[in-house]
Amino acid sequence: MLNALVTGGTRGLGLGIAKALASSGFQVIAIARNEGDAMAAAREQVARDGRGALHFRTFDLADIDRIGDLVKTLRRDFGGFYGLVNNAAIGTSGILTTMPDSAIERAVRLNVVSPLTLTKYVVRSMMTGQGGRIVNLSSVVSSTGYSGLSVYSATKASLTGFTRSLAREVGPLGITVNAVAPGFINTEMTRDLNSNQLVQIARRSALQRLPEVVDIANAVDFLFSEQARNITGTVMTVDAGNTA
Amino acid sequence: MSTRSVILDEIVRIAEQQKKKLAPLTDDLPLLGSGLDSLCIAVLVATLDDTLGIDPFDRDGDVPFPVTIGDFISLYENAPA
Ligand SMILES: NC(=O)c1ccc[n+]([C@@H]2O[C@H](COP(=O)([O-])OP(=O)(O)OC[C@H]3O[C@@H](n4cnc5c(N)ncnc54)[C@H](OP(=O)(O)O)[C@@H]3O)[C@@H](O)[C@H]2O)c1
Repeated sequence: MLNALVTGGTRGLGLGIAKALASSGFQVIAIARNEGDAMAAAREQVARDGRGALHFRTFDLADIDRIGDLVKTLRRDFGGFYGLVNNAAIGTSGILTTMPDSAIERAVRLNVVSPLTLTKYVVRSMMTGQGGRIVNLSSVVSSTGYSGLSVYSATKASLTGFTRSLAREVGPLGITVNAVAPGFINTEMTRDLNSNQLVQIARRSALQRLPEVVDIANAVDFLFSEQARNITGTVMTVDAGNTA
Repeated sequence: MSTRSVILDEIVRIAEQQKKKLAPLTDDLPLLGSGLDSLCIAVLVATLDDTLGIDPFDRDGDVPFPVTIGDFISLYENAPA
């Protein structure tokens, strides 16, 4: 079984992605600070289904200095990696001028420095294997803008720049690097948006609805598949036509 | 197999895999003059980390990147186990 690491794979989009990749036959290792009930249930389900595998490891991804050791431990326990999904992030929201400096720094650390550092170590294990797949979770707000999300948007936009350049860098090794940019989706991250805002976003979307977790999971699953072997350095928007 | 021959074998293997033409390997040949590009060297470092369990460039460390093949090999030969 090919190994796939999914950060923040315990709830929201990450859990959906982890389940989709497991049912496509990957051995998925989900990382987050807490396992939570949804993850425990998903692991039982995957074990019952008998396709792929789903494991959980606890780790605080803001702990940058320990990321190298984390990857070493995971490689020792599971072997080298074929896939990486940089999904964990915090949805820092608020007006920039009144945001605590520490909140800005925390967002950049978890949403940018952490996935870049993790990718560094995981790609090393892909270099000695047979190609690989990297998917970074960006967001439509990184290109459209949204008041109150300036810091968050900056972190998500940085991942698309990272995606394009890294795709060029590791392309000769058969490793693809893509980003998925979801529109607003109902998860814990967006609980600050009130239902009026969500209704309005849906109304302004071509398909008159919001995308769902499973739509993002399907996009990542596709990018991980053999069918997507010639897709790299791109951003796939999944937003029910919100930015169409 | 000695550290030196492990490294030289890997250089040859990676050059073949990445379709690079290698110059005759001598200790005072600059690493980047060997035919390997920087990506190949990154693959070499990752592979040696796997086979020898050594990565001299691991930390933020102040290890200057070796200029010649001889420097590169001695960095691994002199690495603390
Ligand atoms: N929801 C949306 O509308 C939307 C839209 C566009 C893009 N996105 C992007 O999609 C991704 C997932 O979003 P989501 O809505 O699914 O988020 P979520 O529901 O808040 O889940 C975040 C996940 O990341 C983990 N996590 C958070 N901090 C962590 C840390 N310090 N160390 C390790 N793990 C950590 C969480 O687990 P623990 O808390 O247990 O650590 C959880 O598993 C993010 O990159 C987000 O930017 C979301």
